[in-house]
Amino acid sequence: MTVARRPRLGKVVRHLLLLPFLVFALFPFYHMTLTSLKQDRELYDRYAVPLLIKQGPTLEHYSKLLWETEFLTWTQNSLLVAFLATGASVVLGTIAAYALARMKFFGVATFGTGIFVTYLVPTSLLFLPLAQVINWVGLGDSKWALVLTYPTFLVPFCTWLLIGYFRTVPKEVEECAMVDGATRIQALWRIVLPMAVPGLVCAALFAFTLSWNEFIYALTFTSSSEQITASVGVTTELIRGDIYFWGSLMAGAVLGSVPIVILYVFFLDYYVSGLTAGAIK
Amino acid sequence: MESISRRHFLTTTAGLAGILATGIAPARGQQREISYLCWNNFAPASDKKLAEIGQRFTKDTGIKLKIDHISHMGPQQAKHAAEVQTQAGHDLVEMRMHVPWLYEPQLVDVSDVVAELEKKYGKAISSAYEAAHVHGVWRAVPQYHGMFVATYREDLFKKASLKVPDTWEDLYVVGKELKKMGNPVGIPISQNFDSISTASPVLWSFGGMEVDRDGKTVRINSPAAVQTIEWYKKMLRDCMEPEVLSWSDSSNNESIQQGKAGWIHNPVSAYIVARNRKLVTTDGINHHRSLAGPSGRHETDVPRSIGIWKFSKNADASKEWIRYLLGKREVYDEYIMSGDAFNLPVYEKLQDHPVLRTDPKYAALKGEGVQYHTYGWPAPASDKVQLITNSYILPNMIAKAVTGTSTKDAIAWAENEMKKIVAG
Amino acid sequence: MAVRADEINVPRGRPRGRARLSGWLDREAILGPAFVTPALLLLLLLVAYPFVMALYFSLSNAFIGRPSQFIGITNFVKLWDSDAFRQTFQNSFVFTGIAVVFKVVLGICLALLLNEQLWFKRMIRGAVLLPWVIPTALSTLGWWWMFNSLYSVVNWTGMATGLMDPPGPNWLGQKYYAMAAVIIVNVWRGLPFFAITILAGLVAIPKELYEAAEADGANANARFWHITLPLLKPVLAVVVLFSTIFTFSDFNIVYILTHGGPINSTHLFATLSRMVGIDTGRIGEGAAISLYLFPLLVFVVWAQLRFVRKQAF
Repeated sequence: MTVARRPRLGKVVRHLLLLPFLVFALFPFYHMTLTSLKQDRELYDRYAVPLLIKQGPTLEHYSKLLWETEFLTWTQNSLLVAFLATGASVVLGTIAAYALARMKFFGVATFGTGIFVTYLVPTSLLFLPLAQVINWVGLGDSKWALVLTYPTFLVPFCTWLLIGYFRTVPKEVEECAMVDGATRIQALWRIVLPMAVPGLVCAALFAFTLSWNEFIYALTFTSSSEQITASVGVTTELIRGDIYFWGSLMAGAVLGSVPIVILYVFFLDYYVSGLTAGAIK
Repeated sequence: MESISRRHFLTTTAGLAGILATGIAPARGQQREISYLCWNNFAPASDKKLAEIGQRFTKDTGIKLKIDHISHMGPQQAKHAAEVQTQAGHDLVEMRMHVPWLYEPQLVDVSDVVAELEKKYGKAISSAYEAAHVHGVWRAVPQYHGMFVATYREDLFKKASLKVPDTWEDLYVVGKELKKMGNPVGIPISQNFDSISTASPVLWSFGGMEVDRDGKTVRINSPAAVQTIEWYKKMLRDCMEPEVLSWSDSSNNESIQQGKAGWIHNPVSAYIVARNRKLVTTDGINHHRSLAGPSGRHETDVPRSIGIWKFSKNADASKEWIRYLLGKREVYDEYIMSGDAFNLPVYEKLQDHPVLRTDPKYAALKGEGVQYHTYGWPAPASDKVQLITNSYILPNMIAKAVTGTSTKDAIAWAENEMKKIVAG
Repeated sequence: MAVRADEINVPRGRPRGRARLSGWLDREAILGPAFVTPALLLLLLLVAYPFVMALYFSLSNAFIGRPSQFIGITNFVKLWDSDAFRQTFQNSFVFTGIAVVFKVVLGICLALLLNEQLWFKRMIRGAVLLPWVIPTALSTLGWWWMFNSLYSVVNWTGMATGLMDPPGPNWLGQKYYAMAAVIIVNVWRGLPFFAITILAGLVAIPKELYEAAEADGANANARFWHITLPLLKPVLAVVVLFSTIFTFSDFNIVYILTHGGPINSTHLFATLSRMVGIDTGRIGEGAAISLYLFPLLVFVVWAQLRFVRKQAF
């Protein structure tokens, strides 16, 4: 924002200002990680120092989580559902966004507004009648029910994001291609999409996160241990009555987020530039 | 596993004799399958035992059984609601306390199964009856129960030469000493079930009630309520710390496990977990009989029963499972033993169960002279009474009174809220 | 990554059989609806239909597993009598209002900082995103453990650094502290979304504008208020829109941390609806609670979208 006259000092100041934000964001995660590595003895010691491990770290919570529960199966389910739901949502969102961004046809404005209205209906209310629909389709107690229902809250956001992004692709390029004989579909596939890859990545990452974190639909539409997702599985298995297995719960939190964050950091540059064009145009 | 049992049945003379003897028709090409949704028992060993019994059931009867577990606090209710709404899901569901009342029209009449069990084991205890016997019909089969009991740090009591309390008033007296020692009493006053589980017995022991036996008259506005509130006020002031206003259901367990609380009101889960995790406080923890008040010795009980959804196409097979799990003395005993003493039998003749002798500290669970009730007693557990419970009106009344509202106003507020709910 | 039109390998002279179909598909009036139809179908079947059902629930005396009758707006009217509901109504506005304001302000600050040349840029951005990525059910439990009255690391740290007197605030047990606690967790979780989205908006503002302003003598402050903020308005509008909706219908944080307490002071529409509707079976009332603000939210969405479309589209 500014071309600082004393660049070094400005930089240091900026990093110092970032510090509170970083502490705020990371501290709970640090605490969760620590909790997952502490022995039960120290976890339940009221005189222990919460910020450090003094009685020796342990991997027992992780081993309990990984080997004594179906955590790996649940994580597999979560990943499968998230990938498929994301894929479906991005595809549906892409074509819908392209239509809304580029074409004029009956009902375009209504549909554009309509997709937002779906967000006003809380999932904590929708899940009950939705369970009926899922049952009619024959997908009760199945992770495929999740693949089917997650797009309902992913598609609207993906569509909005991609509409903005598509508008940044100059119309002229497409028009040239079409003058040269390409169909609209070919124009979309060969021209617009390659230019919009950052936007697609952005939409995909957002959709993935939301799928990964979703709880109420996962709880309602799956029951068997082989079908449930990681969030549901971990909380079901490790919260029994009034007993909380804190060490393993926090291990679940760590294992459930670190891979995703690595994914994010890897794609982050795309993500930011994806939102860049999408949000403001 | 099913095909083995089918072959087993059809090809061996033993199997044929078995069929002739028991009259169970072999699976004629169509495997009967049932599914059972139950809570994730706080004792994982119990869930393993249940799975094991389930496998034996399949081997013996040829009925395939799938057991799913679910967390009992919020998810279980959501699951029940979804299954009823879609009219599809599991065949059998385990229900906590008086949930069968909410789903009465959706549950199969299981009076026949209960009658068989009662013939063998004696009548179901009153709290189980209150919970699962709805408008003259058994809607779920009582399975076991986990009652609340006083859990205390025996070693600290001995060190300070404190008398083991017998009444709620006694508790106040020792509580003062405990707090001075740095080990206060821990009774939650928050929007969680444990708060109701303590507030109710205190209220009952003083002779009070929320809604009367007729299910319509709100009786919270009584001298007993005033006494209850005054008791809580002095407890919070002299025997407890303000943190109890934020406690969740697990907080009192954790407090005594890590050595802070000197006395809590909880099922045996606190002790058992301490023992399993080998915490330092384990040896010092013990239980004593539930406390009494001027109107008797009342205590909260959490019975659990097994119901069968009406939409199930396998009601008969489902009843067979219940009979298999609970009907044979050895199997029932095996099942109970696996749960430590958290799950106890709910039939009269089984009350003095061997599981209580596996650890001397379970002695207090015999509950001599204790009357066990479910929430909302003595009113029948209609949905209105359950809404009063689920809205935490009783603990909120107490919370208001101990944080500044006058006793009179707090009671008036509770009465008003309860009346609105009962009026519908 | 710009592609020149003449570089694209476009097949010429398509096979005659397909010519009519392709030509047909090329008309906007056909292709447009064809493209939106899948999304439309999905939303119609899986959102609109259940929503209509939910709407019916709210207008009936629906009880789980029992036949229901239409009773009009009785549920909505009766709700206003309930003390818990009135409290919930107030809580929701307080919770959403404060949380969103914090997220906007802190989001802008964080975005401004992230926009600069930074060391470890990727790691910092990753770290900032972390709260949003941790599965909500588990991160909220982590916060419960942090606010836990027995081992609260928040209080421990506060006392160790001298900011708090022992024993420290009773976070989840006192009226205003509990609301503060749930707001803090909501802001913690939602800030990454705001920061990154606003950052994207910042990155898109042409540097020339700033340089021109600086040449005209505008200081940093003036540049922010007269260039940055106005150009961020469209981004902010949509982000605030989404966040308001998500925050209003938040369930998990309150459910796990306080169950709506102490004394209903943190109940939100979603948690109250769950308690009445699902836990007690009164789905008619539960639906009415969830839908109470629907007309208001529709209006807000409509107003925001009109504003955004004028600015952005």
